[in-house]
Formats: sequence, structure tokens, C-alpha cells
Amino acid sequence: MIEVAGLKKSFGDVVALRTVSFKAEDARVTGLLGHNGAGKSTSLRILYGLIQPDTGFAKIDGVNVSQDRILAQSKLGVLPDGQGLYQRLTPREHMRYFGRLHGMTEDMIEQRSQELIGMLDMGSIADRRTGGFSQGERMKVCLARALVHNPKHIVLDEPTNGLDVMTTRKVREMIQELKTLGLCVLFSSHLMYEVSKLCDEIIIMAEGRVAAQGTPEQILATAEESSLEDAFVTLSERVAQI
Amino acid sequence: MNILRTIVAKELLDGVRDRRSLFSAFLFPFLAPLFIYGLMTLVIQQNTETESITLPVINADAAPALVAHLKEAGFIIEAFEGDPEAEVAAKTVELVLSIPIDYQKTMAAFETTRVTIIHDGSRNDTSATVRQVRNLVRIYSSELNALRLVSRGVSPKLMRGLQTENGDIASDEQRAANFLSFVPIYVLMAAFVCGLGLAIDQTAGERERRSLEPLLINPVSRLSIVFGKCLAASIVAALGMLITLGMCLGAMLMLPIDELGIRFSLKAQQVVGLIMAILPIPLLASSLQLLLGLFAKSFKDAQSYVGFLVFIPVVPTLVMNFLPFATSFWMYFVPVFGQSIMMKEILGAEPVPLLAYPAAALPTLLAGLLVCWLTSRLLDQERVIQS
Repeated sequence: MIEVAGLKKSFGDVVALRTVSFKAEDARVTGLLGHNGAGKSTSLRILYGLIQPDTGFAKIDGVNVSQDRILAQSKLGVLPDGQGLYQRLTPREHMRYFGRLHGMTEDMIEQRSQELIGMLDMGSIADRRTGGFSQGERMKVCLARALVHNPKHIVLDEPTNGLDVMTTRKVREMIQELKTLGLCVLFSSHLMYEVSKLCDEIIIMAEGRVAAQGTPEQILATAEESSLEDAFVTLSERVAQI
Repeated sequence: MNILRTIVAKELLDGVRDRRSLFSAFLFPFLAPLFIYGLMTLVIQQNTETESITLPVINADAAPALVAHLKEAGFIIEAFEGDPEAEVAAKTVELVLSIPIDYQKTMAAFETTRVTIIHDGSRNDTSATVRQVRNLVRIYSSELNALRLVSRGVSPKLMRGLQTENGDIASDEQRAANFLSFVPIYVLMAAFVCGLGLAIDQTAGERERRSLEPLLINPVSRLSIVFGKCLAASIVAALGMLITLGMCLGAMLMLPIDELGIRFSLKAQQVVGLIMAILPIPLLASSLQLLLGLFAKSFKDAQSYVGFLVFIPVVPTLVMNFLPFATSFWMYFVPVFGQSIMMKEILGAEPVPLLAYPAAALPTLLAGLLVCWLTSRLLDQERVIQS
């Protein structure tokens, strides 16, 4: 389970998070929905230990990220914003490097890499350097890198941002698959239909605040609207007026 | 320990596969000594070449004895007609010796006779010849003076009130080390040049490719990430530095510097001493490069910042040349400065106190670790992580 409570964060004069609290349960897909600049990435970055909150905390399986970053990070698989890869390393070498950083043995890495290569259909590219990869191929390597240590929690920051239709579909299938494996999946998006299709639970963020959290039905009821898109707009505006 | 090995192995693999920057990194160790060898050979040739220099002389017939004296010293005398200043300026001749028409007349009258050397004082390549001609004329003049005194029954000794004797206390090896003071500069520079590409690629490059964030998400301390990267860059830098040392020493042994009256020899003991003295430098160099690489806003910024570091090894030698001083023990403690002094002393076959090795190594290594720690603290700042 992922839990954040009372997160506040400012960058100089800019207030990124005012108060953010939410939960993401195991074996469920939780979607973090918000406009650009709503505070999604900042919340996630605090969650995976990249930056420190001014107040509040983030916990992974009860482990406070600020207090024991390394233990918390070992429970997380993360697909951060942007698809930064080492162009001169192959997908297999990426998995080996990240597996070793997670303290896995060589046998475990070998076995898990083979599994992921099958799961992500990477057989033909596993031993090619990532330098000339297409965006879809790069996304696969990023996912494999995030999953190599078999984490129980997976955080994806705008995973379908800028991808073509085929790859987007693959990523969505992947998210469903991870859920059936019992993982706690938390992902951010600014696309309404994506979130409504994939998520069991939706968190709507606006202006550095959580506007609403609940199942799609609960969100509709809170906003007193009939479509999720209208609900999203209504709730975002409601927060903006505060 | 495992984590460190993992990071070092990955960074080295990544670095070795980057053929182009590896090539440019190792251009320095191979090219610099070759360049120096060529330059020094030229200097030695210019300093030792005496025979068969042609000397254009105006009105040579007027002073047969002086001309004979110059010929004896190895000059080929050539009659010169025309405008000497114009031809020197046009660089068609190096210098012209002008003998006045009334040479014999003033000689016979025991008056001061003036001969003129027309040359271009801004040219470096002719200054040795000019000096040589002036010296020969002076010697001829003093011989002439002695004869004039003898003809009047006065002992020529009267003219020699004072004479200097050469009491140079420097050994031939010390003078050689002074002559070859470029060696410490180049060797220490190599430590700052060879790992530079890798250090920037691992910091500013990693951030610009957006792979820094995924790396920091791993359950690993920031310090071990920085230290691993630093070790990888240091290994490359150390390799380049040792190649430069080998090439420079080889060049020194091959140079005909004994023709300058100085001697250079090398014992295995000295080579070991040199290596021990300089080995801590790459760690400090790489740690500084990583710090600046992360501190810089972009890859290009990083390149120009880190480029300035290359001049650090030049400073101690400049100081030693312009502010001569005797070595005190505290000087060994100053990173880079200590190593420069030690290299100069070892090359000059001077005794270096055994304690100087740890005295120079420890502060350098500690400074490197401190910079690594500072760099790891930078990784906690949002501004540094985000591109």
C-alpha cells in the first residue's frame, strides 16, 4: 500500500503542493488525474524519494520514505517522467545494472530478465544497444528496468505521454496485467478517458490539492455530474475557487 | 562494496563504448609528449648548431684579421651589398655585420672602431647567432686591447681587475629537471584531461539524457553513486596520466640534452617514486569534475567550467618559476602543489623525504573524498536533479 498524508512543498516562491493526502491499495490501479502543473509529478517524486516534502509524509508499505529512503525505494518500481536510457547499453545490460543496484544476485537477474523479455516481447532487441530505439522500444526498456527487481508497488509518471497508439495500448495492457499479479499500481495522467478506463480508484488533483478521491461512481456522485469529464472539470474548478 | 563495483563497471563499460570521446581523451597522452619531443629537439639544435652559419658582412675586405677570427669560429663569410635594414626586415638574411670603410684608419690611430650588427631583436630563432657574433667581436676586441697594451709595455693583466669563476651548485640532473619542467605540468594535466569526458558524461550528460532520475530512484546511497562515478573517471584519468608519464620520460631519455651540457638519467626507483607521488591526483581531479558537471546548468556549461580545471597543474610550476623558494615540508601538504614539487625533486635526483609521500597523498585523497561528499549533497537538490 502507498500512502501520502499532508504533503506540502514549495520551490522558492512557487507553491507546488498545498496539502496532498491519498492512498493506493494493493491489487488495484489508482489513477492520479490532473492538469499539467497540478502537482502530480511533485507528489510522485516525493513518493519515490527524489525530493523531500516540506511537511507531511509518504509511506510505502508503512515505511516512511523520508526516514528510510533506501528501504522504501527497494519496495518500489518506478517509471519516471521522460525515457532516459543509456544509449550505449543494451536492454539486458540495463536490467543487469538496475538489478545489481537493487542487490539482486546474478542468477536472479538472469532469470527475471528472461521473464521480462518474454512478457514485454523484447526478444529481438534484448541485445541491441538502445541508441537507435523507437519510442515504443524505449518504453519497453524503461518498464523492464522498473520491474526487474519484482517490486510490489509500481509508480508510473505519465506512462503514455507522447506514445503512439500501438504502444499506448501495450502500456495499458501491461498495467492491467500488473494489477492481476496483485501489485499496487499508481499512475498519473492528464487524459480523462485513459484514467476512467483503467482505474479502480481515481484521485483528482488541482492547484496542488486533492480535489476528490474514490471509485469512478463516487467521483460522479461527489461532482453531481453524469460524465467523468464533466466531473473532472467541476471538481478542478471547485478547488480553484478555494 | 558490491554497489561500488556495479557502478564502476557500468560507467567504465559505458565509457569504453563511447569510442569517439575515448579517442579524444587519449589523444593528449600520446600527442603532448611527441609535440614536446619535437619542440625540444629544435631548441637543442638551435642552441648547439655553430658550424656552417653564413654571415653576411659589409666591407669585409677592410678587416681581414677580424674576418679570419670569425671564420675560425665556424662562420662562412659572405660579402654583402645592398640595404641591410631592408633585407633583415624582409627576412632574406638573419643578420648583417657592417664594418666601416675607415676601419683600418681608426685602427691605426688607436681610436674606437665601431662595427654594427644589424638584426631583428623580435626574432627568437636568430638571437643565438647574434649573441654569438657579438661575443666573438668582444673576444677579438679584448685580444686586440691586450696587444695594444703589450706594445706600450703594459701588462694585459692590468685590464683584468675582476673575473668570475663558474660555481654552479646545481647538479647536471637538477639542471636537466629545470630544463624539462614541462614534464610535471603535462603529467598532472593529463589527470585533468583524460577523465574529463567521462566525468561530464556521467553528470551533466546523464541529467540531459534524463537517466539521472531513474538512477537516483534505486535503493542506493547518493554517496556511493557519486563515489562510484568518481572511481570510474579516476581509473581512466590515472591510465592517461601514467601513459603521459611514460611517454614524457621516454622522450626525455631520447632527447640529446647532454649536448646542452646537462644530463638526465633515470633509475627504476625514481619511476616508482614518481608513480607513488602522482597516483592520488586523478581522484581529486575527477571529483572536482563531477562536482562542476552537476553544478553546471547544461552539458555545454559543464564543458567550459571543467575545462578551466585543466589549468590547475600549471599554477605550481609558474609559482616555482617566478617566485623561487626553498622547499619547506608544509608545501607537500598542498594538493597538486606538493605533487609538482615532488616530481621536480625526483626528476632532479634530489632526496625526497619518505614522509613526503603520505604528506602529499593524504590531503589530496581527503580533498577528493570531501568533494565527492559535497557532490552527493548536491543530488538532494531539486534544481540539480531536474534538467
